[in-house]
Amino acid sequence: MNFNVSLVAMDYSSMVSFLLEGTVKAVELFFLTIVLSLPLGLLVARLRLSKIMVVQIPIKLYLLIMRGTPLILQLMFFMFFPPLVLGIPVDRFTVAVFSFTVNYAAYFAEIYRGGIESIPVGQQEAAYVLGLSPLQTFMRITLPQVVKRIIPTIANESMTLVKDTALASVIGVTELFRNAESMKATYFSVVPIAVAGLFYLIMNSVVAAFYSRVEKKLNYYKG
Amino acid sequence: MKLKRGISLILAMLLTSSVLAAGCSATAKTTSAANDSLAKVKTAGTLILGLDSAFPPMGFMNDKNEIVGFDIDLAREVTKRMGVALKLQPIDWDSNVLELNSGNIDCIWNGFTISDERKAEVNFTDAYMQNRQVVIVRGDSGITTLADLAGKTLCLQAGSSAADALASHADFKASLKNVVELSDNVTAFMELEGKTSDAILMDEIVAAYYITQNNKDYKILDESLADEQYGVGFRLGDQSLRDEVNNQLKAMAADGTLAEISDTWFGKNVTVIK
Repeated sequence: MNFNVSLVAMDYSSMVSFLLEGTVKAVELFFLTIVLSLPLGLLVARLRLSKIMVVQIPIKLYLLIMRGTPLILQLMFFMFFPPLVLGIPVDRFTVAVFSFTVNYAAYFAEIYRGGIESIPVGQQEAAYVLGLSPLQTFMRITLPQVVKRIIPTIANESMTLVKDTALASVIGVTELFRNAESMKATYFSVVPIAVAGLFYLIMNSVVAAFYSRVEKKLNYYKG
Repeated sequence: MKLKRGISLILAMLLTSSVLAAGCSATAKTTSAANDSLAKVKTAGTLILGLDSAFPPMGFMNDKNEIVGFDIDLAREVTKRMGVALKLQPIDWDSNVLELNSGNIDCIWNGFTISDERKAEVNFTDAYMQNRQVVIVRGDSGITTLADLAGKTLCLQAGSSAADALASHADFKASLKNVVELSDNVTAFMELEGKTSDAILMDEIVAAYYITQNNKDYKILDESLADEQYGVGFRLGDQSLRDEVNNQLKAMAADGTLAEISDTWFGKNVTVIK
């Protein structure tokens, strides 16, 4: 089967360099989102566990909306609602980072909460008896254990995020997938798409290897 | 009970205020923008052109990864004459009107077919190019008329004017075995090549370009499904900007520049603006 049938002979070096530009954008999106959404998720998880109704209910609503609607729709909402309805101009890349962050923070929040609730409450009681403040208990006793437990799930979400950066193409961000589609039209061939797939795989291999190392390092005790 | 009432009241207030805000900002935009749209662009010094950069030959990437195309050449000449810079903004074609109305782009200039539905949302220039929706088949298929396509599979780009053209030819559509909607024209050509589909319905301009560029043995049937025209799309309120671009295109037609650019891309003058 002939995939590359173009008389416009495929200039591999310029095609790959264009895809690399898109990859850099995707990596930027990924890092900014991870760096912002991991702490935000922890904050949201803490608020979710709060006993105060005025705090808990909006947080639950936020979690429902973020996890219950497609990310692609959220991207379009944040892109077009501010300028069209509120008259606020927005920048594409900023919208993408913002939208990914609030979406992934919701997922991370529930992951954190699952981890936190799995720590036996007896530890909290023991810490209280020993005179540790709630903050000290959380930071020194609970959180380190939670982190160790949730690493595989966080790795999952990170790998999903790498692939989800492709969704930013619907708001015109020139990341890897969009660039691959442009190249497909230029050369009338699906080879750029296959190369893009390879780039995503390479990025995710790095992510997987990173988390694997983190897991090994945290394995200095069992449980 | 009280809490529920309180929440629904707040939600109602939020919804009403956002609807009011939308109404206010929309009317404000149309009245004041009518006269200052051209001035705004001149002050900014740039016209932002929105396009789907995967649509050869109107707007696409060449092998040096620059955005080029027939529409791009026209736009460059027009903005040169207007004394502003041209900024090319790739967008998702499905959101073209949204991008226009939200101010991210100033115009849609990418083989944009003029239609009555679109006229309700977009302020078009005069038509600058003629186009037809045509059927492409493999050279060896023996199909020469629309009637020959009875019982065959046709594919087209989803959401394109090809889909509209097919919908308005109900008999022809009913005679087909299957209509496949795809995301873009390159995929359609893949289906034709791989014999998964027997025919493609698409813009004649784009079809001719692909066939020549790739030296394929495809045939374009003589019978077309719709005659269309391309125009440049502006926001509904941006009358002065639209008029300026329209006048520039007319000037280019008068002094032969339009025909020259058309020649470079298509080997002949396909423009219709007078």
